[in-house]
Amino acid sequence: MKWKTIEKRNFSALVEELAKENEVIGPLKEKNTVTSVRITSENEVCLDFWNTKKPPKEVFFPQTETLFTYRTSKNDAEIIESPAIRKKMVLVGVRPCDSRSLVLLDKFLSSGEHKDVYYLEKRKNATIVGLACNHPLSTCFCTSLGGSPSGKEGMDLLLQDINDKYLIQTVTEKGEKLLEKISWLKDAKKADIEKGKKLSSDAEAAVRSKVSLSDVSEKLDKMFDDPFWDQICQKCLGCGVCTFLCPTCCCFDVLEEGEERVRIWDSCQFLCFALQGSGHNPRPSGKERMRQRIMHKFNYFVKNYGKSFCVGCGRCVQECPVNLDIRDVVKTISARKVE
Amino acid sequence: MENFEDSIREVAEKLLRDKKVDLIIGYEQGTLPLRTTPCFVEKLEDVKKLVWNASCDANLSKYVVGKKEKVGVVAKGCDARLIAVCAVENQIPRENVVVIGVPCQGVIDRKKIEAKLEGKEVLEAVVKDEQIKVEGEGFEVVLPKKDFLCDSCHTCRHRNPPIYDVLIGEKLPQSTDKNEFAEVSSLESKSTEERWEHFKEELSTCIRCYACRNVCPLCYCKMCFVDQSMPTWFGKTNDLSDTMIYHIVRAFHVAGRCVDCGACTRACPMAINLRELVKKTEKIMKERYNYEAGLGLEEVPPLGEFKMEDSQEFIK
Amino acid sequence: MKNAEEKWEPKILAFLCNWCSYAGADLAGISRIQYPPNIRVVRVPCSGRVNPYYIIKALQRGWDGVLVSGCHPGDCHYISGNLVARRRFAVLKDLLEYFGIEPERVNFSWVSAAEGEKFANVVTDVVKEVKALGPAKRLVKR
Ligand code: SF4
Ligand code: SF4
Ligand code: SF4
Ligand code: SF4
Ligand code: SF4
Repeated sequence: MKWKTIEKRNFSALVEELAKENEVIGPLKEKNTVTSVRITSENEVCLDFWNTKKPPKEVFFPQTETLFTYRTSKNDAEIIESPAIRKKMVLVGVRPCDSRSLVLLDKFLSSGEHKDVYYLEKRKNATIVGLACNHPLSTCFCTSLGGSPSGKEGMDLLLQDINDKYLIQTVTEKGEKLLEKISWLKDAKKADIEKGKKLSSDAEAAVRSKVSLSDVSEKLDKMFDDPFWDQICQKCLGCGVCTFLCPTCCCFDVLEEGEERVRIWDSCQFLCFALQGSGHNPRPSGKERMRQRIMHKFNYFVKNYGKSFCVGCGRCVQECPVNLDIRDVVKTISARKVE
Repeated sequence: MENFEDSIREVAEKLLRDKKVDLIIGYEQGTLPLRTTPCFVEKLEDVKKLVWNASCDANLSKYVVGKKEKVGVVAKGCDARLIAVCAVENQIPRENVVVIGVPCQGVIDRKKIEAKLEGKEVLEAVVKDEQIKVEGEGFEVVLPKKDFLCDSCHTCRHRNPPIYDVLIGEKLPQSTDKNEFAEVSSLESKSTEERWEHFKEELSTCIRCYACRNVCPLCYCKMCFVDQSMPTWFGKTNDLSDTMIYHIVRAFHVAGRCVDCGACTRACPMAINLRELVKKTEKIMKERYNYEAGLGLEEVPPLGEFKMEDSQEFIK
Repeated sequence: MKNAEEKWEPKILAFLCNWCSYAGADLAGISRIQYPPNIRVVRVPCSGRVNPYYIIKALQRGWDGVLVSGCHPGDCHYISGNLVARRRFAVLKDLLEYFGIEPERVNFSWVSAAEGEKFANVVTDVVKEVKALGPAKRLVKR
């Protein structure tokens, strides 16, 4: 592990340097929100933000993506594969929860027989430069899910704001390689590292929102037919806010767009998500759909991969139009008596 | 306001006790500052959860559409108007609903407060006497409520529910000199080119989450046009053309029905100003057919009727 | 490039009602009245049959203009189809213009079975106006 520092005012020079060989994607302030976009010479990364409105999954799993094109003639059909994206990418300013989400997505989309090559191709070429959180929000509950405001899981490098400069910590070899080329970075002083550690532990303590997940998965095992689902889904609108903004949700739909096969984001909360060609819908009401979301995150995924499929980023908590707070849902489950 | 809260609870309790309704739909305290959340009360002991304050912004008429049981619902001016529209459209049997009307002083727009605080998080907020006191890490500010209301509330001319069964408190004087169509008019005065660029930019961030549609009581279609796949009318991608069309058609579908409750704008996670889209439909209806939605139960929806002398200056 | 632009001819999709406007178009043909060949006709039973989706879809598919034509008020074969449609079209037209779609691209007319001349004039006008605008771009998908 190596420690470096960079003056804040030099950060754009670092980005410029990285942009020589990579596509750099970083947070940018637009209107009232911060979103991750491609950084060019005309815009500048903004590292002074809570978290990006949309999670980084979008870079690897875009909302609309052409899988392949085809031409049909009378007796024949020809498939034209979309060119694989081989461009090297560097994602700058990824929060620890979001970087963890990529680790979970990697597992989910690469296990088993059918791998998501579209996701994995892009993922392979990406280097993640994380950004530790010094000021967690009241909606952040990453620590309850095994993360931390200065967590490094999924990162190649970790940045930390230590007032006048950023402390850079190398996490993987890939990250180290990236820095090698930038000769003018200074080695971190002991005091800088100490300061970073102090900020990290303060931040850890500042995550006040806690949920206990210890028995949730087990309880859910016995709750498939629990009347509880009828209650919690009552106010849900069945929109796509919580799932589209969630860094781990990755359901999709496949469509024909002219002679293109396209995939788009889809959501288990949508009425049509499970609708079958026959007209039968195995998840006909909000109850089944809400149950699916919660079960997948806190039960099925736990069984398959040993972890919850939530990283506690709090986006769904902030943005749900009716304030259906997933932390409350989890708390209610864990307080519930099941035999 | 606190009086209102007590009255709402009283009314709710009585309705439940007398078995006039099976369910009360109101608001309860939310999990975040300046938020409430819809509350469904079936048991008497839960009545005390009900609250009333300037953050009661959800449009509860949404939950009345399609309910089989008898419900009592807390309704602000705009909510009651939407109940009227849905009743006229035969989506709500009027006799099944007890409208607990609340004269409304406007609801707070959290996004405006967020913008004002420029990146500082609100950890606690108290609204009292026309003032909002917000606190966070190392700061405390007092903001005048009137500057932080939703745009819709700023120009609202129907604070008192036009239909109700029980009225909480007393009717408010009904006057505002604000021009509700100011935003629309200023867009209208631009060139088509400028307007296209404006909407293109505004809608380019749309993620097609359909919160704007799903939050609206008027979007009760079993199968929305964007979801139809046999045939597929319009694409579901976030390609600009598809997104624009979704918004044009949605606006078209609420024309003559939308009452500018503001719920769609508040629901949008991407802070898209949907009001300036749907508000135009209200203006068209007013100018062409002198019609305002949701003011009574005897109305005929303007797109469901015609007059021989309707304007047709646009027809060659 | 200039050349290509000059040669460009707009494509207009025309929805004509069976009872009046389609017959009007027919009359124009029989009477050998000249009008630009830029329209492609879809015959519909009534202007009231024209779902706004058709118009929007045409714009998305890249038609440079749309014309919907029906019977004059009072003459509708189904008595009031065109009158109900008139309100719908008014709102749609206002809305499309508000969103920034050039108003010249979306046209409505009343043409009776006896108005072959009028039909030719309407088409001539529409084609001229759309030509002046150039190819449709705004709502066109990719
Ligand atoms: S964001 Fe809220 S209302 Fe929308 S689907 Fe999720 S829980 Fe339901
Ligand atoms: S479920 Fe909510 S808190 Fe958990 S990762 Fe998804 S958006 Fe974040
Ligand atoms: S947008 Fe139109 S089709 Fe879709 S639900 Fe609303 S009214 Fe129905
Ligand atoms: S379109 Fe928006 S403002 Fe109009 S009634 Fe629906 S939610 Fe309210
Ligand atoms: S709520 Fe906002 S982001 Fe979602 S579909 Fe509507 S406009 Fe788009």
